[in-house]
This record gives sequence, C-alpha cells and structure tokens, in this order.
Amino acid sequence: MNRSRLNKLSDTLWEIPPTGGMRVPAHLYATERMIDTILADNAPEQAANVAHLPGIVRASLAMPDIHWGYGFPIGGVAAFDAHDGVISPGGVGYDINCGVRLMASPLTRQDLGPHLRRLVEELFRRVPSGVGSAGPLKLTPKQMRQVAVEGAGWALRQGHGTPGDLAYMEEHGCIGGADPQRVSERAYERGAGQLGTLGSGNHFLEIGYVSEIDDAAAARTLGLALDQLTVIIHTGSRGFGHQTCEDYLGLMDRAVGKYRIALPDRQLACAPIHSEEGQAYLGAMRCAINYAFANRQVIAHRVREAFAAVLGPGAGSAALRTVYEVAHNIAKFETHDVNGESRKVCVHRKGATRAYAPGRPEVPAAYQAIGQPVLIPGDMGRYSYVLTGTPRAMAETFGSTCHGAGRAMSRHQALKAGRGRDLLRELAGRGIVVQAQDRRTLAEEMPDAYKDVAVVVDTCARAGLSNKVAQLKPLGCVKG
Amino acid sequence: MRRPAWLEPVDHTADAGFVVGAATLPQLFERAARGLFALIGDLDTVRGIDEECIAITAQDLPALMVQWLSELNYRHQTLQRVYGRFAVESVTPTSLTARVRGEPIDRARHRLYTEVKAITFHGLQVDQVGRRWRARVIVDL
Repeated sequence: MNRSRLNKLSDTLWEIPPTGGMRVPAHLYATERMIDTILADNAPEQAANVAHLPGIVRASLAMPDIHWGYGFPIGGVAAFDAHDGVISPGGVGYDINCGVRLMASPLTRQDLGPHLRRLVEELFRRVPSGVGSAGPLKLTPKQMRQVAVEGAGWALRQGHGTPGDLAYMEEHGCIGGADPQRVSERAYERGAGQLGTLGSGNHFLEIGYVSEIDDAAAARTLGLALDQLTVIIHTGSRGFGHQTCEDYLGLMDRAVGKYRIALPDRQLACAPIHSEEGQAYLGAMRCAINYAFANRQVIAHRVREAFAAVLGPGAGSAALRTVYEVAHNIAKFETHDVNGESRKVCVHRKGATRAYAPGRPEVPAAYQAIGQPVLIPGDMGRYSYVLTGTPRAMAETFGSTCHGAGRAMSRHQALKAGRGRDLLRELAGRGIVVQAQDRRTLAEEMPDAYKDVAVVVDTCARAGLSNKVAQLKPLGCVKG
Repeated sequence: MRRPAWLEPVDHTADAGFVVGAATLPQLFERAARGLFALIGDLDTVRGIDEECIAITAQDLPALMVQWLSELNYRHQTLQRVYGRFAVESVTPTSLTARVRGEPIDRARHRLYTEVKAITFHGLQVDQVGRRWRARVIVDL
C-alpha cells in the first residue's frame, strides 16, 4: 500500500480513511520506523478490506505486530454490532482460541540450577508435541462433547489442575453458548486423541525467569519477582479447532451469496450474526474455544507433574500457580463505550489479545487495581513480556493489544539461514536448553526468524494500549 | 527427499506452500499430494504398504484441489498414517477418485517435520498454462 493513502494521527497511530466500500476507517498502530515495513506487506490492504464488512463499529484496527493473513490480517481487531453485524471464521483464524498461559513458581532460577536439562526432558516426555502428537487421553464421543461445553472445568473434574486455576483464565476457562451439535464428526475425530498436546509450528512450552521488572507495583500484585521461575504454554484447539474453521469457511462462502454481502476479498466470508449460519458457527467456534481452554489446562497439569518429578513434590501442584491465561484468536460478545454510548459488539481478535483496564468486572478480583494481565510471547532465544490492559485500550481498541513478535523470515529463509549451524549448541551457549521433535522445526523457529518482540511491546506501551510489567527470559524450551 | 524439478516451495512469511507443474490433470493432483507430504515429512522414509481408495467431489477445480489435500491431511491426522504414493484414476472439474498408499506413523523410522492445520484458499491457483497444468497451494501451519 502506498504511504500517500495514510494520515498520520500521532507518533503511533495511522489512519486509512474510508474510500469505496469502506464503512469506517482502518487504524494502524505503528511507529514511523515500523510503518514502511508494514506497508510493504499486504496486511494494511487487508485491514482496509475488513472495514467493508456490514455492521463494523468505529474502525478496523491493526496492532503493531500486524502481518498478512487469510482475508483478515493477523494482528487485526474488528468489532461488529451485535444486532446488525456479521461473524466471520476468517476473523478468528484456523487455530480457534490459540492462547498463552503463564505460570509462576516460588522457586528461582538459582534453585533450578543443575536440574534444568532434566526438567526440559521431563516436559518433553510428558507433553506430547510435533506431528500427529497424540496424548495418553483418548476421549470418547461423549467426553468430547463434555469438553466442548465445559472447557477447562472438564479437565479440573478429571483431577487435571487446581481449583484456583479457573479464576485466572480469560472467561474462567469456559465460554457459554457452545453447541456441540454444530461441530462436525471430523472435528471430533481430529480432536479426540489430541487433548493435552502442543502440536507443532510456533507452539511451545517454555521455562523461563523474570529478567526485568518495569512496574514494581503491578509485578508484586501478579506475584512476580526478579529471578523467579516461570512457565509459558502457547498452543490452541489443535485439529478440533482447525477442522471447525475449515468446515465453516465453506458454509460462510455460500452464505455471502445468500445474504448478498459485498466483499472485496472472498476470504472475508461471513454471515449476519443472527442468521442460521452465523449462529451455527458461533455454537461450533465456542466448542473449539472450550477445547483449547481444556487443552492448556491438561498441559498445565502435566507441567506440574514434571516439576514435582524433578524438583520434588512441593514444586508441583498449586505451588506452580497460574498467573493468567489469554486467548489471541477469538470472537466474543462484549460491551464497550462507543461515542459515549454503551454497545454490545462481537469483537474479533485474530492475533490480538484482550487487554482490559483496571476495574472491569472481567478482570480477576486480585488484579482489579492493575488491569488484566496480557502475555506476549517472543522467540525462544530472547524474551517474552507481561503487560496489563489500560483505559486507553478500552477507549480505542475495544480493550485489545498485540499478541507476539511476528516472523521476520519465511520458514524457507530460516532453513537456509540455519544451514550448517548447530542451533542447539548456540542456544545452549546462551544458557537455553531446547528439545525439539526435529532439527528442521528448530531451524524454522530459531530466534533470528522472528522480529524483536520488544519493539512491538514498546509501541503498544507508547500508544497507551498496554503497560509493561515484566520481561521473562527463556531457560528451557520444548518445541513440536 | 531431494526436491524434484516440478515442485517449488512458495515463500510465505508465516506459513508455507508449494507450486507444482504437470503434463496432465491426474498427475497435477498426484504431485500436489506429494508436495503436501513433502512439507509434513521426508517422503523417502515412507513405504507404501497399505492401499486406500478415495473419492471426493467439489464445486470447481480449485475447490477440488483443497478438498483432495484436506482429505489426505484428515486421514493422516486421524488414522495416524503417512502417505507416499498417489495414483489418481480419474479427475473431472468436480470429482476425483484415487488410490493412495501409506503406512502407520513410526516415529523411529519416519522423519516428520510439521503438522498442517489446513489447506487454504489463500492465493490458490489451479490452471492450465499452454499444455501444462500448474497448481499453487498455501497451507496453514
């Protein structure tokens, strides 16, 4: 996209004014230094395309980690009026409720000391990852339907977790309105053996430590102190969600003609929220949301078992506390102030994270004063961040912020760059123990393949969309 | 597997894809299937032990390509099998029948790289250029 199409509104905000069929402007959050790279990609055009959709409210929004997606850009946020708006599977993505959980141990990295390698090996053994990763749980059709409705609560009923976990998850680990009848048999088949598994691609399990604190009061509220051990789980709804998205993209493609929705790109396929197709997708998508909550809950349980096995019984169970869990591929009904009026909207976040301000009732009671924690994973060699939501995010982005670093190299480029290098040894030299199913995955996911997440996080902080609380550095990583 | 001349990787920042060329339409679908499984793992380690028959339909040729590769990915994931040999018996713009050969996943013997979440319609092309057929497919990883 040509820079002449943009108006610069501030140091961190750019506007694509409405032209043609755009119903609202598109707003891109980026600094002067980032904008040319962002414009070189097709993503700003995609953000402008989203602005054509019926019922879109305020603006089509793009976070600083925006990049080219299918129809909707990744790093995009769009809210649609709950009565007149649309729902779109492309606005959520294939990995429905892909998300991140942060856990914190009372132990420090000094306590971990010589046990690191054994702990990584134990995690690798207990949490299946990689191609066709199937867990020890093989769910019956009845159990699959229970997971789809109950989410993380189902896992808890099986003894996978501690009661305190649910209070620290977005939606308390279970979204209402899930309709198991709307999910295909294929999706159930793909998900039946995958609960409690990481999968592959950019998903990971990481042991790290608190390396820097930016907001001491907020860090204290979250129970985070320098050198404290942390665990990050990044995965989603596995084949269950992927199949659900695939099933409904086809249905929505036909709905576009039926409801005479004019689209600038066929991949924005959508249906009115109150249509039969829209309701069916909502019912099925919520099942996948719940499956992902249960998946991360089971993995968290396995992580606790691994901690207990390596560091002693006292290191597992409730000692490894859930700090928070966020979703970054999701569509939900939320109430927001729009032009001084309270409106119910369906917020699509595709590669974007909810970032609610202090005082919102959805924020856990213990975090009311600081706002909702936001977890932004980086790459396996550098760092990740803990942020909190702000009133500015509520006012401008429907309470949303970024979700990650974004890739700097394609997988093919990364493979070339990794040729002849011993990445395991390089990472070990930096004190990071990595176990991956295959060395090719490791090359594709190496730190150089990703942009510096600090740039994305700093831009969100400068734009006022989130506050920086703490930086986490990796010590050990499990990759699929 | 050494990359054959008819298979080119597509450089996509977040995901992956391939372009395949072929003399005939059945060959194009066979090669696209090989392109998919070359992304998933090393095809040289896969033996074609058991045979399965596949029959699918779709509304047009590009949709048929997505349907064909999605069917193979679904079988790979739910049956925990890898496939290495593909014989397309008939193709029309809306239907396909094929026999495929593969075997159960054996992590000790099969080198597997990545899971494919889905076959997308993004930048999808299935067309005839002169006398040759060409397909471009991007998958979500």
